[in-house]
Amino acid sequence: MKNLKLVARETKARTVVKVSGVEIGRDFVVIAGPCSVESETQLLETARAVKAAGADMLRGGAFKPRTSPYAFQGLGIQGLKILEKARQETGLPIVTEVVDPRDVSWVAEFADVLQIGTRNMQNYSLLKEVGKSGRPVLLKRGMYSTLEEWLNCAEYILSEGNPDVILCERGIRTFETYTRNTLDLSAVPAIKELSHLPIIIDPTHSTGRISLIDSMSMAAAAAGADGMIVEVHHKPEQALCDADQALTPDIFATMMRRLRPLASFLENLPSESTAKTNRIK
Amino acid sequence: MKPEQIRKKISKIDRELLVLLQERMGLALRSNKFKETLSDPQQENDMLARAERLNLDLIESTFTRRLLHTIIDETKRLQDEDRSLAAFQGEHGAYGEVAARQLVPKGAYIPCLEFIDVFRGVEDGYFDLGVVPVENSLEGAVTQVNDLLTTTDLKVIGEVKVAVSHCLLATEETDYREIRQVFSHPQALAQCRNFLMRNKLEARPYYDTAGAAKMLARENPKAAAAIASSLCAELYDLEIIKEGIEDGPSNSTRFLLLAREPHPDNGDKTSIIFAVPHKAGRLYAVLKLFADAGVNLTRIASMPLRSDPGNYSFFLDFEGSDKQEKIAAVLKEMEGLTKWMKYLGSYPADKTI
Repeated sequence: MKNLKLVARETKARTVVKVSGVEIGRDFVVIAGPCSVESETQLLETARAVKAAGADMLRGGAFKPRTSPYAFQGLGIQGLKILEKARQETGLPIVTEVVDPRDVSWVAEFADVLQIGTRNMQNYSLLKEVGKSGRPVLLKRGMYSTLEEWLNCAEYILSEGNPDVILCERGIRTFETYTRNTLDLSAVPAIKELSHLPIIIDPTHSTGRISLIDSMSMAAAAAGADGMIVEVHHKPEQALCDADQALTPDIFATMMRRLRPLASFLENLPSESTAKTNRIK
Repeated sequence: MKPEQIRKKISKIDRELLVLLQERMGLALRSNKFKETLSDPQQENDMLARAERLNLDLIESTFTRRLLHTIIDETKRLQDEDRSLAAFQGEHGAYGEVAARQLVPKGAYIPCLEFIDVFRGVEDGYFDLGVVPVENSLEGAVTQVNDLLTTTDLKVIGEVKVAVSHCLLATEETDYREIRQVFSHPQALAQCRNFLMRNKLEARPYYDTAGAAKMLARENPKAAAAIASSLCAELYDLEIIKEGIEDGPSNSTRFLLLAREPHPDNGDKTSIIFAVPHKAGRLYAVLKLFADAGVNLTRIASMPLRSDPGNYSFFLDFEGSDKQEKIAAVLKEMEGLTKWMKYLGSYPADKTI
């Protein structure tokens, strides 16, 4: 991993990405919200519910890179306006995906964190553009990518002068078919060895099964992850995308209640020299 | 055309009809000031003849006549209401109109091309009142207006601070990603400089914010947007791409209400303009009068005197009315110290300033 001049562990102290009061890399940060913004009611209701359950940031896609060109492609700029409204009401910072280099500056006008999805991890022109955006970037791991390839993509963003990159492990393709992908939890401590950048996990897309989300979130916290990004929908059965993997607000709230005691337990463990302790708020 | 498109087009036309009627009513109210209106039968015949010439097979003459009568009746009713004619610079939807609506609640708001048209129109009696911006919290003095205040004889009878929230507007057909040039008043463009730079947009100065919105709606130039109020999006049927694009968090403009006669009652704020001779300590001596009398100054601004290069006029706003004894005394003493002095008026202060 010779070419990692900026993201390598030894180049710098651990990065803490600050997003209006939320510190990723210090606290265990929970980002929650629907897969895509479908309507004002849907997003605002979900935003209120995840805020009440203790989420730190709100996610929601306005531009969706879908496997099928005929699937719902997102509301576009209309969706961004709804996200902005949700931030005004709940105070939760907004994380949203950008898929087109021409959209980067516009999405940056509305969102607090720009997300690069798994399918775009190696879209280098898009990476350069978000590197210039002045907004923190949530970089998802490509579903076929090695850690080295992934870190090189982060290097692209940092080399454009943007130090605020959050890595997100979202599952990789294996031969297993029971789960949608395989959550590579070892990536969490491995990235901590290799890089100073914070890493969070996505238990929703990696497992694709609601029943596994709670356990994998707990495991990620225990493995030292800096947070998680999870799909919550106020009425999952009506969702226009990924309906069968979104948590209801109730299940999300229950999970949040279980995460907190685990956090205080983890905090009180004798610290390993390389491990860092995360607080769950 | 699909039913959906037809419906949209009809509602667009209806909106345009209303905006045109608004313009027509404004003109009718203005003509009232001249006491010589076009005679109604003449107008009716003209319109019927025009319909005939245009060969509008769907607009029958009985309908034309009925429509015209309805419009004329409404015009007469409006003229009898005797609303104050408040002029502002810009097209309908300009921030000047936003200010005018606050300062003159039941007025008729008349758009003017230039600031000087507002001043002249009020001076000559074509309008009852004028509403002009004097200062913006981000960009400072509106020099043209301050200059006109020194050279005309109008009185200030009110003020209001208007929160300016700029929107990026474009026609429905415009893809925001293709926008390259943005039309607006230079002040508005300057207030959104960072936004324009971040999105690599070229600033194209236009005579007015609302005028830019109107032009966009009518001409739909390629790859273009406008910066204007959200009221303009409504008036000209434009899409709001982004709200609140100004650089500063609190962007506001102070507007003055102008009239030919001073405010009849005791105001609680006063504005004056003066110039002092080039002598050591003269400006200080003037300001000392206010300090000694315990009068709080709310604005001091200087501007080069156009008529006398190298010299400056000073704009002074202070708390209190010229009908108060101590202030009358200060103003009297000032006359001896200044080269030139002009009393703009005492008026009720906007308490939010």
